[in-house]
Amino acid sequence: MDWLEQELREALNRKDPAPDFAERVRWNLRVQEHRPAHGLQFWLATAAAFVIVAGAGGMGYRQHQGEVARQQVMQAFRIAGSNLNHIQAQVREVRR
Amino acid sequence: MTRLQRVLCIAPLAALLYGQQFKFHLEGLAAKASNAVDVSLGSGTLKFAARFLDSSDPDEAAVKKMINGLDGIYIKTFEFKRDGMWSESDLEDIRAQLRTPEWERIVGYKSTEEGENDEIWMRTENKKVSGVAIICSAPKRLTVVNIAGAVDLDALAELGGHFGVPALEKAPGKKAP
Repeated sequence: MDWLEQELREALNRKDPAPDFAERVRWNLRVQEHRPAHGLQFWLATAAAFVIVAGAGGMGYRQHQGEVARQQVMQAFRIAGSNLNHIQAQVREVRR
Repeated sequence: MTRLQRVLCIAPLAALLYGQQFKFHLEGLAAKASNAVDVSLGSGTLKFAARFLDSSDPDEAAVKKMINGLDGIYIKTFEFKRDGMWSESDLEDIRAQLRTPEWERIVGYKSTEEGENDEIWMRTENKKVSGVAIICSAPKRLTVVNIAGAVDLDALAELGGHFGVPALEKAPGKKAP
């Protein structure tokens, strides 16, 4: 038996695992089970998307509120102006 | 309802009416009216709305200019299908509030034939206009307006002309635009 055969025999010889091997395998399995499905990047992207959507929604709502306020103001001035004109037209008619 | 809940309920209403210079007390007429318009615009809403007014539109540009210096606009207008749905007592409470040294009736028009009664009251503080009240009443129509703040009546009247109503006569000595 030459030295090569001897080394092969030793390398391929059956060896028992370390006593804590089973425990280490179970521990690794537990770690993988509890690892979050999505990483930090996923959550950052989700948060960024949420901020963008919420911001756009907020701007749209503010634009809508502004349009409502604009219409109310124009209606108020329309009523006030036309009543003022009506009164002064009546007074003008009496003066003639 | 606890005291805190009452305060929380009343606070927004009080804030809304803060700029109003006299109370209308006309809520009861809304149920009888065929058409009712209720406008309550405080200083904050006016300033907010001013940012959305289109300066390229002549009417909106004029309104935008007038809003500066105003503290609020409060309007109640009712239209009725029949006569007698409102009474003079509804307006008496308003007139009583206007009979103070700050307020002066500058225009009064009464037509017994048409049953129309119109008034313009002006509020002055330190010789400066600080508010206007307009009361227009007819058998089937009632409008009360309170514009709080430095109102430019000429500009408001001009605006009335822009809105499709004939423009007012200018006071003597003033040139038409």
